[in-house]
Amino acid sequence: MTEQVDGIVCPSCQQLNLPGTLFCLQCGTYLPSGGPLRTEQFPDQHLQRAKPRSGDDAQAEQQVLGVEVEILRTHRKVLLSADSEILVGRLDAAHRVFPELDLTSDSGLEHGISRRHARLYTREGKWYIEDLDSTNGTYVNDERLTAYLPYSFDDGDTLTLGTLRLRVNLHVDARESRPW
Amino acid sequence: MKAKATISAEEDYYAVLGLPSSTTPEEVKRAYRDLARQHHPDVSGGDAETFRKVQEAYEVLHDPVLRQAYDRQRVARGLGREVPLECALTLSAAQLVALDTPQMLYALLDLHPRVPDLKQRLPLNLALVIDRSTSMQGPRIGNVKLAVSNLLEVLLEHDRLAIIAFSDHAEVVAESTPVREIARLRAAVASLTTGGGTEILQGLRAGLEQVRRFADKGTNAHVVVLTDGRTYGDEEACLLEAKHAQSEAIGISTLGIGDDWNDLFLDALARHGGGVCQYISSPAQLQELLLEHIRDLSHVSVNRLTLNVNLPPWVQLQGVFRAAPFMEALGVMPGRAFSLGQVGQESLSLLLELVVHQPDAGERRVARLDFEGIAGEDPITIRRDVNVQFVAEAAGPVEAPGRLLNTLSRLSIFRLQERAWQALERGDVKQATHLLESAATRLFEIGHRELGQVALVEAERVQRGVEPTSRGRKQVRYGTRGLTRG
Ligand SMILES: [Zn+2]
Repeated sequence: MTEQVDGIVCPSCQQLNLPGTLFCLQCGTYLPSGGPLRTEQFPDQHLQRAKPRSGDDAQAEQQVLGVEVEILRTHRKVLLSADSEILVGRLDAAHRVFPELDLTSDSGLEHGISRRHARLYTREGKWYIEDLDSTNGTYVNDERLTAYLPYSFDDGDTLTLGTLRLRVNLHVDARESRPW
Repeated sequence: MKAKATISAEEDYYAVLGLPSSTTPEEVKRAYRDLARQHHPDVSGGDAETFRKVQEAYEVLHDPVLRQAYDRQRVARGLGREVPLECALTLSAAQLVALDTPQMLYALLDLHPRVPDLKQRLPLNLALVIDRSTSMQGPRIGNVKLAVSNLLEVLLEHDRLAIIAFSDHAEVVAESTPVREIARLRAAVASLTTGGGTEILQGLRAGLEQVRRFADKGTNAHVVVLTDGRTYGDEEACLLEAKHAQSEAIGISTLGIGDDWNDLFLDALARHGGGVCQYISSPAQLQELLLEHIRDLSHVSVNRLTLNVNLPPWVQLQGVFRAAPFMEALGVMPGRAFSLGQVGQESLSLLLELVVHQPDAGERRVARLDFEGIAGEDPITIRRDVNVQFVAEAAGPVEAPGRLLNTLSRLSIFRLQERAWQALERGDVKQATHLLESAATRLFEIGHRELGQVALVEAERVQRGVEPTSRGRKQVRYGTRGLTRG
């Protein structure tokens, strides 16, 4: 017998692992290389957010309550609270993208919806939409938006994300709404 | 003898050898060797008739030409029905050096459902148990109503749905009703109002009772619990109900809305009930997730799946994990059937950590894995042997298969953060901090920067002696358990 093989000492935490162990039981280090398994591409782009444009008619004093969005293709309606901004896109739990309005089941991928496609929010009684540099763009009543610039929209307007059309209904009573 | 989908008549040679019809020539050889030894007329307990059948089966199945001809005949006789799961095995090493000391072997098992016939799905027998406590008011209950209305549109006429609302007590808003009477169900959904506290047990019991009334093996019976709060004092009773339900083939899943529910309890409830627990971080997601969830339920390829791991005395089971569709530690004990619940459209992957202590060279069976389940109305079995060649000297460095490494790297992150929460429970702040930081580092390494950032923020809180945020904790737990997805 030449030398006694007791195990693999982890280079990061000194834990003794059994021979054949691939990831240190204590700290998760990849043992055969003693470092990262390999470098993978970062899935999330860091977003630089533009300040919302304060419109001329910002003095609109009416109280904004909530928004109902209808996905015209499926007639699915989603009720959203105005309390915080609404991310629109496709759910991707693995990359921790949790949109408030997830268009996955409305054939979002086929319609060119990005994971982080656009965001909706209210300022001083008006609703705004901002494209988040999506691959296939965002349109308000067929007018293409410039990425990261907020555009206001009104009741009954059509928002098009990629090729998916949504209608907004602003007369929604969500007075009871609380932060989610 | 029980009838099996792959074992339907005595002249089924695959059945005689106890093998699936997708078996390999090596497995045929091995099964023959074992059975011939066991049934040889010269040994005690041997039997000439069985021995003859085993020989006959082997002679046909080990010859490729004869086997092909036999397979055609078998299909014509209606014996050729395939098990609806394909099973693939990946080992960290096909060869191990025979050592005087224990060593680690990883086995990854992928069970792929064959594409189910969508038109032939079993009718659903569902109960929705909906939290109507005060905290559900506003967009939460609004989206629950929309989600259930949408659900009604996609269910089929012969599916059944019961709706139970619970707060401090339970109310059957709609008794189990066939979906063809959609107007009644719609009216029930519309009548939902909020108020009161959260006590899951009564709601769960009422839901199970509704489902039980129409439970038979020709339906897929399932209770879905939607809640945003914590139940106090009735957790144990709920888990007991879930265990009973599973023995009656009624599944239970849980959907936790927002950040205030008890993740450990809802996880356990779903695990005992053979279902899934899902985190709904925003109200609008509810519709997608509920629809997706019910779609999965309606495409069940195998129900009541169990796994039995059998090991020789020189092998120890260190751990068994579900790796996909989501990660979870499974309390599998060797020699005892462990319930895996149902397999839907997505593949089920299991990872086994085996500690092997074998000092002698030669080919050996390290583990035998037996699955049993119900496909449609038929019992099925799948057997997989894990065989390894033990050699005196290493042939040179061998890299483990990429798919296995990928799974293991994600699983190790999932385990780091699970251990962190356990350490915190014990009050071991230093260990919890360290484990969360390690999890964050590994997340950065594999490119999940945002999730890593969340883990890091929670690690800093823990280190300062502050409770982790309930949102951060859920994001880390449910985000990492989904790392092997897609
Ligand atoms: Zn280590």
